[in-house]
Amino acid sequence: MPATKAVAPPQPRVHRGARAGSGPAGALIGRAFRDARTLTVVFTYLFAVYSFVQPVGYRRVYTTPVSREDFARSFGTNPGLRLLYGEPHNVATISGYTAWRVGGVLAIAAAIFGVLAAVRALRGEEEAGRTELVLAGIVSRRTAYLSAMAAIGGATLILWAAEFAGFAVGGLPVGGSAYLALATASVIPVFAGIGAVASQIAPSRRIAAEVSGGAAGLFFLLRVIADTVGGAGWLRWATPLGWAEEMRPFAGARPVVLLLPALASALLLGIAARLGATRDIGSGLLPERTGASPRLWLLSSPTAQALRSQRDGLIAWAGGFAVFSFILGVVASSVSSSGIPASADRQIAKLGVGSVLTPSGYLAFVFFFYVLGISMFVCAQVGAARREEAGQQLETLLALPVGRTGWLAGRLLLAACAAAVIALLSGLLTWAGAIAGGTSVPVGQMLEAGANCLPAALLFLGIAALAYAAVPRASAAISYGILVLTFLWQVVGALLGAPAWLAGLTPFAHIGLVPTEPFRAAAAVVMIGIGLAAAGAALAVFRRRDLIGA
Amino acid sequence: MTAIQAEGLTKRYGETLALDALDLSIEPGEVYGYLGPNGAGKTTTIRLLLGIHRPTRGRAELFGIDAWADPVEAHRRVAYVSGEPFLWPAMTGAETMEFLARLHGGTDKAYRDELVQRFELDTKKKVRALSKGNRQKVQLVAALATRADLLVLDEPTSGLDPLMEMAFRECIREAKERGQAVFLSSHILSEVEALCDRVGILREGRLVDQGTLAELRHLSTQTVDVTFSDGVPQLRPLPGVQVSPAGPNALRFEVSGSVGPVINALAGHPVTALISREPSLEEIFMHHYDGHAGH
Repeated sequence: MPATKAVAPPQPRVHRGARAGSGPAGALIGRAFRDARTLTVVFTYLFAVYSFVQPVGYRRVYTTPVSREDFARSFGTNPGLRLLYGEPHNVATISGYTAWRVGGVLAIAAAIFGVLAAVRALRGEEEAGRTELVLAGIVSRRTAYLSAMAAIGGATLILWAAEFAGFAVGGLPVGGSAYLALATASVIPVFAGIGAVASQIAPSRRIAAEVSGGAAGLFFLLRVIADTVGGAGWLRWATPLGWAEEMRPFAGARPVVLLLPALASALLLGIAARLGATRDIGSGLLPERTGASPRLWLLSSPTAQALRSQRDGLIAWAGGFAVFSFILGVVASSVSSSGIPASADRQIAKLGVGSVLTPSGYLAFVFFFYVLGISMFVCAQVGAARREEAGQQLETLLALPVGRTGWLAGRLLLAACAAAVIALLSGLLTWAGAIAGGTSVPVGQMLEAGANCLPAALLFLGIAALAYAAVPRASAAISYGILVLTFLWQVVGALLGAPAWLAGLTPFAHIGLVPTEPFRAAAAVVMIGIGLAAAGAALAVFRRRDLIGA
Repeated sequence: MTAIQAEGLTKRYGETLALDALDLSIEPGEVYGYLGPNGAGKTTTIRLLLGIHRPTRGRAELFGIDAWADPVEAHRRVAYVSGEPFLWPAMTGAETMEFLARLHGGTDKAYRDELVQRFELDTKKKVRALSKGNRQKVQLVAALATRADLLVLDEPTSGLDPLMEMAFRECIREAKERGQAVFLSSHILSEVEALCDRVGILREGRLVDQGTLAELRHLSTQTVDVTFSDGVPQLRPLPGVQVSPAGPNALRFEVSGSVGPVINALAGHPVTALISREPSLEEIFMHHYDGHAGH
């Protein structure tokens, strides 16, 4: 039916922001907050559960004052645990233990959240072409920027409240809980500031995310060195993750340290606002290479082209693992079993990560985290395949004589091969680091420890592929969610006193902690088998479904 | 007050000169067609006019307000439709229009409802479920409903079907009658020919021609096809006239300027038919691009 001619009323009745709070800034903040809600919900869940489980678990495992003292003594010097959790204070008390176990880990999560949220809200919106539309209204760049930041501020408040509630419900003193949660939350604006500055400078969203993610990795590394290498404690002042520790929740609180994250985030956010005031929207301050002479290698198949387009990302993952492996290998030599009673070691084993009192026990503990890292990598690879579908490049490919099954199988194979390279590289570099640090370990053993990460990674690759094939839009949330949940279940399930069959639901419970434990071939076969079956199912489902856009 | 005033507007991206010293002036009630092929600098111009990119040299004013120095004030009387309907996939059409209305600082809701009818838009559907043309309609309705004094439209009808294209033309004519200024960037020549009072032709960042359609025609060549009763006569060469065969008994004269000399030269020859044709916008457009392909 053609449009019917209807003459518009002669008197324009233009409603101009009649209701309070209906102005552009309010609408923008609400929009940004809602756009980020999945991210916020996931982290809120993590913050609340993790902070609740630790004090509850501690009460269960360390029932007597003696066992708590033993525990405290054994961990004062253990770099394996310091690496992840930071420097312990008062770990013979429930609050000191919780501050140690939760503060360090959630500070890392807070850093990741800050970077992700800022890059997404600033550069992500720009790259999607929406910032231009917003700025064409009566919205200044300043308003748009402040609205995006205000939405992140709101999310920060929610995360703080979630962590605080976890502690308080878990039985910690209210005041101290609020302060401990504040120490964690103070990390978010600093890393949001780093993400915001990177969003102004980098030529694309991906590079902004990589640069600020790299900065987060660097600050984590600084904190690891500060907490594990003797005499390097001063380095804590050089990293925002160290500031959260130096606020000393439940260990003689030093609230004045809060000034550091406050000043740093104000400075970073100010710099980002300044840089954003004068640049061209849609392109960063650093120019992007807009042309290049053709390089015709790796164009023979969709899989080859995927390897080509993800080259930088693969190099970043492999490089990150290599650097961490080497440094953690160096640290191995400072692990010592002196002064740790056997009873404490048994308690530690209950944490689900085995004994950490010897260099090889420590290395096994480290590789346990590589399983998590490499599994995240395969989830990210499946995520890249999903983005190709959402961005409709896949539609173009499949209109050519390219088969769906072949396309997805190629991507999964690429992810598996890259995971194998990263795993073996991590083993090799851990060995090199250990040798450099004066710990003697056979190279074959370290390569085996690296390879030992792969069955679980293949399992998660299969799960991620199936999630992608069946529910593409929710696949990232599902695959990362299952991975993080099973990992947390392994770490906290035993603490909560779950029966063996329940604790054994997570694949992490079935990984032999090479090199201290033997490689568990049967479990590996089962994991690989499930992974392959899931991948096969993924191919079958994917063959039958519609392509689904963003 | 002049709706758009650009003086020496220039933009360089690294090595590329995207826009070269553009002078532009558009009055209220005027529909200005901005023509150019892909990559000529049309979208760059719009980004500079809206203060989204910073001019390398020169300035752009909307209703007398500098677009780069004070974009918010400059945008108060402006509505914009982007060439690619980038919207928020999780919002419905109605939510999107409400959101854009708030960002604009208000809208005419009654007129918006009427436009939704005219464009046959299903506003309950989420943007991700809409086709490109329907997403474009969401943007168009949101922009038109603001009754802004200046409409900046970047290839607004890409993806629209012919019926909707007609509805769009109607809306633009009404906007013009109400005294709104329209900056219409397009490469659909028929649309520009049907709607625009004045036309600017952009090539590789430079405005190579500008004027009303009549002016552009005047400067361009006219085509005169002449058929003779028995064979083609020998004619002496005429300055500014190109002659080519147009059939066994016919000649085509491509004339720049007056056709008088051609008529004089034909006098006394056995002419059976003479057809004179004004150049279409397409021919004017091609005239500016022919022979420049290598640039």
